[in-house]
Amino acid sequence: MSEYAAPLARLIEELKHLPGIGQKSAQRIAFHLERAPREDVQRLAEALLDAKDKIRLCSVCNNLTESDPCEYCSDPRRDPELLCVVETPFNVISVEKAHEFRGRYHVLHGALSPLQGIGPEQLKLKSLIDRLKDGTVREMIVATSPTVEGEATAVYLARLVKPLGVKVSRIAMGIPVGSDLEFADEVTMLRALEGRREM
Amino acid sequence: MPLIETEAIVLRTHRLGEADKIASLLTRQLGRLRAVAKGALSRRGRYGASLEPLSYIKVWIYDRENRDLQRVGSAEILESFFEMQGDYRVQLAAQYLAEVSERFLPDREVNERVFRLLLVVLRALKRSGEINRPLLFFDYWLLRLGGFLPDLSRCMGCQKSFAGQDGFYDPVAVALVCENCRTGASTERVSASALGLVELFRRTRIEQWIEKESSPPCTQELRRLLEQIIEAHLEKKLTTRALLADAI
Repeated sequence: MSEYAAPLARLIEELKHLPGIGQKSAQRIAFHLERAPREDVQRLAEALLDAKDKIRLCSVCNNLTESDPCEYCSDPRRDPELLCVVETPFNVISVEKAHEFRGRYHVLHGALSPLQGIGPEQLKLKSLIDRLKDGTVREMIVATSPTVEGEATAVYLARLVKPLGVKVSRIAMGIPVGSDLEFADEVTMLRALEGRREM
Repeated sequence: MPLIETEAIVLRTHRLGEADKIASLLTRQLGRLRAVAKGALSRRGRYGASLEPLSYIKVWIYDRENRDLQRVGSAEILESFFEMQGDYRVQLAAQYLAEVSERFLPDREVNERVFRLLLVVLRALKRSGEINRPLLFFDYWLLRLGGFLPDLSRCMGCQKSFAGQDGFYDPVAVALVCENCRTGASTERVSASALGLVELFRRTRIEQWIEKESSPPCTQELRRLLEQIIEAHLEKKLTTRALLADAI
C-alpha cells in the first residue's frame, strides 16, 4: 500500500519521470502543488497542455515552434546563405544570446553517439542535405558541442556536405572567457592555439 | 573516506542534473567504477576535456567502498584520444572498445592486463586509423584474459584438430565444431584461413601486427566470430557492433 493518498502518489510517480527529478524532489513539488491555490495549479496544467498541443517541429529547420515555418526560417531579415547547425533546440537559444548570428538554423536533434545507439540515421541529416542541395546556402557553421560526440558529428557533417560545394566552418573551441590559462588542459589549449586569430 | 590516486580510462559519461557528470571509469587500482564529477559541464568546471570518453587520465577518487557511485576529486589528462573523432569509423571502433569493456568487466575487479590491453589498442587505433586488426587483437585477448576463449584449433565435439579444415560456429555451445559434429544450429562457417590467423597474431606484439602493410583478408571474418562469442557471454547485443557493421 502507498504511503500517500492515491492521487498524490500518482502525481509523485508522474513527476519522477521528469529529467533530474528524483523521489525527494517529486514529493516536494507534489506537496507544493497540493498547498498552492487551485488557480495556480490550473494555470500550470493548462500551460503544460498548451505547450504540448501547440509546439511542433519546424518543417524546415526542425526547431521547436508554434508556427510553421518557425520565426527564424520565415524572417526575411535573416541571411539565407548562412546556416548554423546545432544539436538541440536549446542550442539555438545559446547562439541567439550572442546577438551576432543573423543566418538561419538547422537542428539535428542529437549528436552521433554509438554507445547510445545514435548513428547518422537517427539525426535530421536528410532534411539538411535537401536544404543544402538547392544551392542557397553559402556557408554552414557547425555549432555542435565541444565533446567527443559533438566533434565526431562535426567531422561527419563536414565530410558529407563539402562535396556539395558549401563552405563548412566550425565554431571556435578553447579557453572560456573569465577562466584562467593555468587551468586549461592540453586538449583545450591545443584547440585554442589552433583557433587563434590575427589581431 | 580515502582519496585514491589512480590512472583510468574514461569509458563513457552521462549527464547528471544541470552541470554534473557521471563517468564510468576503468581504473588501474580500483577496477571499473562509476563516479560523479560535480560541475563537470559548467563553464567554470575544472575538469576540461579530462572526462571526455576514452581519455587516459590520472584521477583522484573519494572512495567509499559500500557505495555504487564514487566522487571524483580532480582529474588530469595523461593522453587524449579526442583527435580520433576525425574519422567516424575509428570513433565507432573506439566506442566499441568502451562498450565491450564496460559490459564485460565486473565492477571493482582490478585487472591490470585488460587495462593495458585497452590502452594499447586505443593507441593503435589512433596511430594507424585502421580498425580491423586492432579490434581483432582486442577481442581475442579480452576473451583469452577473461578465460572465455574457446579452443579455436580443434573441434569441441570430437576434439580433432581442424588442421586446414573449415570450422563451424555453434552458438549454443559457444565454440567451434567440425563438419562431422555440426548440428542444425551451427550454420556459420569459419574458414581455415581465418582460423589460421590466430596463430599468426597470437605471438605478435600489437605494434608489429598493425604495421603489416595490409590487413589479411580473413581479419574481418575472425573478428565477427570473436564478437559473436563476446555477445554470447554478455547475453546481450552490442549497440556499437551493429553500427560498426553498417559503417564498414
